Order: sequence, then C-alpha cells, then structure tokens
Amino acid sequence: MNVIFQSTYYTLYQAIDERCFYIDFGNKTVRMSLCQLLSLRHKVMNINIEDHFDSDLNSHGFEVLMLCNKAHLFILNTLEVLDLKNLIENGFMEIGLSVRSVELTR
Amino acid sequence: MKDIARQSMSIKVESMDLLNGQIKMEAHASATYLAMASWCEQNGFFTSAKFFFKQAEEEREHMMKIFNFLVDTGGNPISPEITDINHDYSSITDVFESTLEHEVKVTKSIHNIVKKARETGDIATERFLDWFVMEQVEEENTIRDILDMIEVTGTEGVGLQMIDNQVANWIE
Ligand SMILES: [Fe+2]
Ligand SMILES: [Fe+2]
Repeated sequence: MNVIFQSTYYTLYQAIDERCFYIDFGNKTVRMSLCQLLSLRHKVMNINIEDHFDSDLNSHGFEVLMLCNKAHLFILNTLEVLDLKNLIENGFMEIGLSVRSVELTR
Repeated sequence: MKDIARQSMSIKVESMDLLNGQIKMEAHASATYLAMASWCEQNGFFTSAKFFFKQAEEEREHMMKIFNFLVDTGGNPISPEITDINHDYSSITDVFESTLEHEVKVTKSIHNIVKKARETGDIATERFLDWFVMEQVEEENTIRDILDMIEVTGTEGVGLQMIDNQVANWIE
C-alpha cells in the first residue's frame, strides 16, 4: 500500500494488489473502489462551503457524509470538509485522473 | 507504479464533471419541450405539440448518449435534478423564440466542453462530442427555419392556424 496524498487530517492510499484505495480518516480507515472514490468526490465537491458561514443555510456548520453505499457515516466540521476537498483534488491529480492547473495554462 | 486508476477510467474527471453538467442540460431541455408541448396542446397548436413531444424524446436520447458514454469510460454518471421549468408563454412565436434561445445555450455549452477536452488532451471526449456539435447545427437550423416561416406567414387572421399546420414539415 502506498501513500498517494496526505492532507492535514486525512491520507489517501493505493493498494495495487487489491486494486483499490484506502482513506485514513483518523479514527477509521475505509476501503474504496475507484467507483466509490468517484462517488465520494462527487459528494465532497458538491458541498457548498459558503453555506457554513450562513446560519440560515447551515446553522451548525457540520456536514453528514455517507460513504460506500451507506456503509460509513461521517460528521465533518468546516475545516475537515475543506481538508477533505483538498485531499480529493490533489489525490485525483496524483492518480492521473485530474489535470493539474499548471498543465492547463501551458 | 501500476496505474489502477487509469485502468479503471479512461477520461479525466474534469471532462466527467462537464459531461454530467451536459446530462443535466439535456434533461432540462427535454422537460422544457414537454412543457411547451403542454402549452401548445392547451392553446390549440396541436401539430406544434406533436413537434415538441418529439423534441422532448430526442433530448432524452441525447442525455442517455452522454450517460452511457460515462458508463463506458468508467466514470460516475449522475441522474440529474431538474427544476425551474417554465410553462408560461405569451404566444406561439414566444415558444419558438425560447426554443432557439435554449438551443443556442446548449450549443455554447457543448463547444465549451470540446474546448476544455482539447486543453486537457482528452481525445475520447472530444471525438465523442463531434456528433453533438453537428446535431446542434441541425437543431438550430430547424428552429430558425420555423421562425422564418412564422415571419413570412404572419400571425394575423388564419395565420396562426397556418403556422401550426406548417410545423408538420419539420416533424420527420
Ligand atoms: Fe440536445
Ligand atoms: Fe436540442
């Protein structure tokens, strides 16, 4: 298992022999197929962080995140959501499925 | 390092995101044309209603084409949420003018994805969209022809009924 990207709170791993990924959430490590990782990406990237600064839209500043077809449930605060977005963005660049912004401007 | 990610997915996530956006747009177009069919039925434009029922079906086919492309490339296609469907039109001319406006928006969106795919070197997505680029040329042309016909016929007297009858020429 090798580290793909490490953010402040989380680490994304790749397990080549198992053909899957792992995310270490600190208190729990979750095994994910690429499909499940794409689904996590969709959920995380769709979280509107601005809502966390509007007490009408998100009064507590928490996000409930269900992963891997409801197998796992996480409750994340604003900083954790931002960190997870960072992990996803950089993780997808590292595994070669996302284009680096520097490549785009070249 | 063996590339399990690349082996499982053959397009970039940036293209996938844009294509999911396009899925939503095609679904929105389909729902909009259904609303137009409803308006036409209620206002006595029965041939135009038929035209829009058919357009609604076609837009759903476009949506499914993209959906299946995302399945084939190992992406994550998202079933779209559709909101804000307008049901209010002031006239049959308004209906077709809105249609053209909608189609132009769709064309611009597709061109944008082609450009982005080119920038990211995503040849598969770029080639996949070839069909859509040509389809948009056709669709825009159809609506422009209908608007020209409306202009020539005029909406006075029996004009409205003649307009509706002539729309049959654009239903294959
Ligand atoms: Fe379309
Ligand atoms: Fe169309």
